[in-house]
Amino acid sequence: MERSEEYIKNERKQDWRVALQKKTKAKDRMSIERALMAETEPEVRIKSQRIEVNTGLTMEQAVTEASRCMDCVNPTCMEGCPVSINIPKFIKHIECGETLEAASVLKETSALPAVCGRVCPQELQCEQKCFYVEKLNQPAVAIGYLERFAADFERESGHVATPEMVASNGIKVAVIGSGPSGLSFAGDMAKLGYDVTVFEALHEIGGVLKYGIPEFRLPNAVVDVEIESLRRMGVKFITNYIVGQTASLDDLKADGYKAFYVGSGAGLPRFMNIPGENANGILSSNEYLTRVNLMGADSEESDTPVLRGKNVVVVGGGNTAMDSVRTAKRLGAERAMIVYRRSEEEMPARVEEVHHAKQEGVEFLTLTNPIEYIADENGRVAQMKVQKMELGEPDSSGRRRPVPVEGSEYILDCEVVVVAVGVSPNPLIPNSVEGLDVSKWGTIEVVKDKMQSSIPEMFAGGDIVRGGATVILAMGDGRKAAKNMDIFLTEKYLSN
Amino acid sequence: MKEFKSINDILDFAINEEAMAAEFYTALAAKMKHKQIKETFEQYAIEELGHRAKLEAIKNGKGQDFSDAKVADMKIADYLVEVDEDKTNMTYQEALTIAMKKEKSAFRLYSDLAAATTDEVAKKLFLNLAQEEAKHKLRFEVEYDENILTEN
Repeated sequence: MERSEEYIKNERKQDWRVALQKKTKAKDRMSIERALMAETEPEVRIKSQRIEVNTGLTMEQAVTEASRCMDCVNPTCMEGCPVSINIPKFIKHIECGETLEAASVLKETSALPAVCGRVCPQELQCEQKCFYVEKLNQPAVAIGYLERFAADFERESGHVATPEMVASNGIKVAVIGSGPSGLSFAGDMAKLGYDVTVFEALHEIGGVLKYGIPEFRLPNAVVDVEIESLRRMGVKFITNYIVGQTASLDDLKADGYKAFYVGSGAGLPRFMNIPGENANGILSSNEYLTRVNLMGADSEESDTPVLRGKNVVVVGGGNTAMDSVRTAKRLGAERAMIVYRRSEEEMPARVEEVHHAKQEGVEFLTLTNPIEYIADENGRVAQMKVQKMELGEPDSSGRRRPVPVEGSEYILDCEVVVVAVGVSPNPLIPNSVEGLDVSKWGTIEVVKDKMQSSIPEMFAGGDIVRGGATVILAMGDGRKAAKNMDIFLTEKYLSN
Repeated sequence: MKEFKSINDILDFAINEEAMAAEFYTALAAKMKHKQIKETFEQYAIEELGHRAKLEAIKNGKGQDFSDAKVADMKIADYLVEVDEDKTNMTYQEALTIAMKKEKSAFRLYSDLAAATTDEVAKKLFLNLAQEEAKHKLRFEVEYDENILTEN
């Protein structure tokens, strides 16, 4: 899909857009207050892992919010979108009441709009670049809310559009991993006419969207609809298939696959390696969330129930930590606590997630760091020794680093601990493919912006390259890789 | 306890410690299975040789003297469990842990030597050497802080 500056400008000059620009005065647009997202009450939502917190905008709210958008000559919001969604165009369709058309615009460049509308950190991306923020110091147009509204409207209407497709060229490409990066790549390659097969190690498609993000933030049904759209575009999915074990890359080559996209993610848990961390009841956030999200371990009837406790401590301050601690609350913890070594200001989690966690009764022990776990006579964790921290003087990078306060140690009771201090790349492909350049972090080295690895027919993106990033950055990598793999394969197989 | 007869004697001891540290990392590098971790330990060995060169320059009166600035201690290494140095498939997290702990023990050695001596000149030199080791440790702790404790 053409995304040049000229194309964007010409789109803006279309009659319907010009009519809309003239319909409402700028000062009237600017006088409208940003829409508020309706939420399920905290006391209701904490009863189930599957009650969504944000409930979406109404049609009236969406149209009003869309009319706040100034349809800028230079839409800076688009610069903040890693998948280059034509933001003003989709918003203006909503303002006209053409919501299905708005959804089609989203799908021109995004394989997962209903997902992104829910979990993207828009406040750091498109919305941060919005005219309202940059020039007026006012709240941005609620681009994320509107994206979700359009995608949900389309899904609920039953008229899910399939994007424009190029005729099939018969060239087989394999995608390793069905997370956001692999799905985004698969969508773009299918549109370009390639025969795409996605290999997934688990029994469910969706990668981190399914095993990592709880249903109270992202219902699995929403992900499934997006996957169904890809199936309709001809993308094939094979589950329970571990490339590097079930079959090697050479086996796939022998099967006729001409190129590969590795989006195998960062599913390797990371621990702190402090004394006592091997006690029972101390889990990685990967395990905790996967058991609940993918295996239904929160159900009383589950064959593999997850450990519960009165006092649950989650170590970390990112979105995964928030997802884990809010899950613990839903599993009945009386005290669900975050232990984080910096202050709340430095927390990498989205402000919205921290806010929701507080509404749900989560306790925040900031500037606090675990230094040892103490187990009971059965080897089950019973207590955690923590230490208070303070932020030191800024170093040469200007960052204040946490340093321990001498003599500030104290004991916290805990029956379950979830460690969410980061993840490492899945080691299977990096360790099993001869000739593949890998960094000391275990990530696959690629040529920046091309996403091509040291093996020319192998491209990679998302967390296996970044080591832990956001859904939308992973999707952006998938799009870049598709564009460059298309150039590579066209030159090699289609240019004569 | 080892006896030091002169300032040069102390510097020779410290120079030898750096050379031994370089040898330690070179030996670790040799047995690592993964290329990237092998290269990491080789890099650490080069850094130790750099420390040795700095001390040699000070001994020969050619280098800059020690800085008196107090080095921050994040104490990350203090609470981590030991890494099994016989492993051949270490991760970068483990490599950093080994390096932090090694610098920490060098810091302790010089701090202890400073406490044990009554000679004021020797005491100052030991404290300076301890601060140098603290600086090396901080370099690894900052890397650990930024890249391992990422809290996503």
